Amino acid sequence: MDDLLADFIAETREMLEASSGELVAWEADPADRARLDAIFRFVHTVKGNCGFFDFPRLAALSHAAEDALADCRGGRRDPDGPLVTAVLAIIDRIAAMVDAIEAGEDFPEGGDEALIAALDVSRETPDDMATDGQRGGDDTATAHLTHPPAKALFNPGEEPATLARRADAAGAQRTIRLPVELLDRVMSGVSDMVLARNDLAHRLRQAGNQPTIDGPFERLTTILSDVRDAITRMRMQRIETLFGALPRLIRDLSAELGKQVMVDLDGGDVELDREMIETIRDPLTHILRNAIDHGVEAPAARLAQGKREIGLVAIAARQSGNTISIVIADDGRGLDEDRIASKAVATGLISSAERAQMSRDRVLNLIFEPGFSTAETVSNVSGRGVGLDVVRQNLERVGGSIKVTSVPGEGTTFSLQIPLTLSIIAGLTVETGGQRFAIPQSYVEEIVQASSSALDLSWLGESALVTFRGVRVPCLMLGEVLGLPRAESETGEPTMVMLRLASGDLFALAVEGIHNHGDLVVKPLAPAVMRSGLYAGSTLLDDGTPVLLLDVANIAAQAGLVSDTRARVLAATTEDTAAAETTPRAMLFTDFSGRRAAVRLELVQRIETAPVSAIDRTHATARVVIDGLILPLTGLPDGPLPARRVRLLRLGDGTCDLLYAVREVEDAVELTAPLQAVPEDPLVEAVTLIGGVPVTLLDAHALFARYGEAPVAAERTRCILPEGEWARTILAPLVASAGYDVLPEGESDTGAIGPDAIRIVFEDVYEVAEALGRDLPGTVIRLRDQPDAPAGCATVYRYDREGLLAALAAASRSARVSARAGEAA
Amino acid sequence: MTGALLVIIQIAGRRCALGALEVKSVIEIGTITPVPRAPHWISGITALRSQALTVIDCRRALGLPSGDWPTDHRAVVVADGGHAYALLVDSIEDITTAAGEVGQVPGGFGAEWSRIANGMIETLAGPALLLDLGSLLAGPEALSREIETLV
Repeated sequence: MDDLLADFIAETREMLEASSGELVAWEADPADRARLDAIFRFVHTVKGNCGFFDFPRLAALSHAAEDALADCRGGRRDPDGPLVTAVLAIIDRIAAMVDAIEAGEDFPEGGDEALIAALDVSRETPDDMATDGQRGGDDTATAHLTHPPAKALFNPGEEPATLARRADAAGAQRTIRLPVELLDRVMSGVSDMVLARNDLAHRLRQAGNQPTIDGPFERLTTILSDVRDAITRMRMQRIETLFGALPRLIRDLSAELGKQVMVDLDGGDVELDREMIETIRDPLTHILRNAIDHGVEAPAARLAQGKREIGLVAIAARQSGNTISIVIADDGRGLDEDRIASKAVATGLISSAERAQMSRDRVLNLIFEPGFSTAETVSNVSGRGVGLDVVRQNLERVGGSIKVTSVPGEGTTFSLQIPLTLSIIAGLTVETGGQRFAIPQSYVEEIVQASSSALDLSWLGESALVTFRGVRVPCLMLGEVLGLPRAESETGEPTMVMLRLASGDLFALAVEGIHNHGDLVVKPLAPAVMRSGLYAGSTLLDDGTPVLLLDVANIAAQAGLVSDTRARVLAATTEDTAAAETTPRAMLFTDFSGRRAAVRLELVQRIETAPVSAIDRTHATARVVIDGLILPLTGLPDGPLPARRVRLLRLGDGTCDLLYAVREVEDAVELTAPLQAVPEDPLVEAVTLIGGVPVTLLDAHALFARYGEAPVAAERTRCILPEGEWARTILAPLVASAGYDVLPEGESDTGAIGPDAIRIVFEDVYEVAEALGRDLPGTVIRLRDQPDAPAGCATVYRYDREGLLAALAAASRSARVSARAGEAA
Repeated sequence: MTGALLVIIQIAGRRCALGALEVKSVIEIGTITPVPRAPHWISGITALRSQALTVIDCRRALGLPSGDWPTDHRAVVVADGGHAYALLVDSIEDITTAAGEVGQVPGGFGAEWSRIANGMIETLAGPALLLDLGSLLAGPEALSREIETLV
């Protein structure tokens, strides 16, 4: 709840800052409708938020101000000087209270009623109040205010008491504003420092162990990585902050247009420059509006075409070197090439002769030309006079680009490329043709040794295919892509790096060796080099050698490996079933006693590397910290560990994870030879032959029985919340703190929830479901937006805390009863 | 232009001049990492402290073969459009002062040279071609592109 409170305070303060200009302008011209709206939004938001935090005084104040402003908006009342003064006094009071809340102090009692009364007084006796308002401080109604509020905003220096309190309050979390250019300078300085450190580390390694230097150097490294994290976070923000608002937007839009649209967001953890997020907010919104308005068909039309009646809009973000690619795909009717072309000819963008020469792709991309808009009727959703040309302009202004591809009847995909000016990314260094290249880690799905028969590399004409988890995947030879000669001393098979593109397509890149992975400082390349379309930037290795960062997305696009529309979400299930019918496979490794052993591949979640310091061996079962989780660990040797880092196999049975320490991971192998049971060792399932050598197959059942730690079983009632920002940030914490498990809306469609779950929906959603005759499973609590209930309506006002908790408790009781009844039956 | 400092270099056996203000530094060229599939006049990239420099072979950027002349073990570092480049030349001779204004010669300097030169400049070390950095870095393809558009 504390985080939420901090958010509330920060948001309120931010809005206060933003609206302070509005406040002053409004005072100058109370009839200004735009200012009025801005201030109304502020008090409205405050009112909404504080309903959930038990701040009755804030709620009362903001509610009163909202009422008065709503009257003005509704034309029932003229905004006059006294009203402005009264509202500004309330806003000042809100600011002071927020300061007090942040500092954890009690705000002095009293005075609120007088402020609220001032609002009404101005209505009843406008003439009297006009003079009162001007006298300000002398009046009892505003006695606690030493100045008229607007003045306080203008001259904060005149109120030392308030200022001092603000400074105290700021102790909790202080924020300052800095020019971005300064941040840039600090950031590039820090990245140069990282490189200098890497260089130093390299030299120290060459010089051998030097205890007097190693200690301070380690410390420097730690400090530097802390500083770098902090600096990076200053500028970066997860794209989630942008994605967060989209489900609600899509919900509102689709409701408005009478369509049903589901949204699938992927890659929310991609981090992007704060400024860049603001830059792409509008373009992204615009494309989504377009997709829902023009792309996705009405439910009836979809059913007629044999599609699911609910449309799908998928948004995925990926980082690739200095660019972020965002793909927005819908499964709607697709773009109409002929209509676009004839429109372009009609508006004089192209001539008919040019039309005949143009490929479908080029025709489609005409929609980004200035003065182009396909919608025949301008709707109030997408036709706002801002076309896709503006979207492209905005993106190009920051060095980005946008492309569209579309298959008629199947959907449309917009691909946005947005640059990161400077970034530090996780990357993998590979080698081919005697030269090293870097690949952004975000693309890397898995690294597979091509020697394993499971991969089954086969040539079809000029293209190669590999089989990966039962699916045939196209394969590119990096050496060929780059036109490098094959290395003379080529020993054995290439290594496959499986790469997953933002569009969801998977392909294999064959390289001759993998070196290491680590953080890379990516610097831009000269335009002449960028034009080759193969590189996204350059970076320096520890020893100072420059290395080129491959532009994975572009290489795949040049090879024609990117499918036009993304069917990832829908195709995922079929892929899984296709992969199931294969020989059992196992991960082969050597354990610390030198024994060659294997564990069934399905159990292996991934291979982790942990420093010895992360391992705790003080208890009977050793434990290791990985990604902030404490997990059981087995397979360690009895004596001291031979290395500073330990390779660990992360095994999972679906509910809990277990780590198995190994000396060396060998490969994934197929279990073709018969399995010979070993009854004398309970931890061994069988012994089998792999490549003519006996290998011990570990018994997963016994491993998990002995070492696995099941998570605490959840006995709490589950509760499904509506989609949207409001539900996630405001409703979810309330529901969770009341002792319910919160399920995101997306999961409810899988049918995995039991009948005992409680579903909270907005009244309008409920009505739609009812009208469509679709029964919502489970117990339903309906929320309404207005405080006053219509007669005979079983809904709860969404800011009625008590009402909501009571409804939850009642629903939880009845859900349990019905669940028990179900079991009994 | 008179009195301006110039760096005198030899490219393909000809004396050329670069404005000293355009030259960031002169470095010993270290290992050059080749860039596969890049234009042939880009020799590769090399590191200067934490910076990556694009190495340009000036002879090839003029559309001439590079094997016919010796290559200096030092390179001229210049910056253009926010990117830093290291220029490989025959030799780096001197820093001198311009003794006149930029002028043209009747008949021009020949197509390749005219593309990258602003004109002739008299210096204390004799006449030299004053190079235009942007055109030099655009590479020999830039010329053919211009011709195409003219046609």
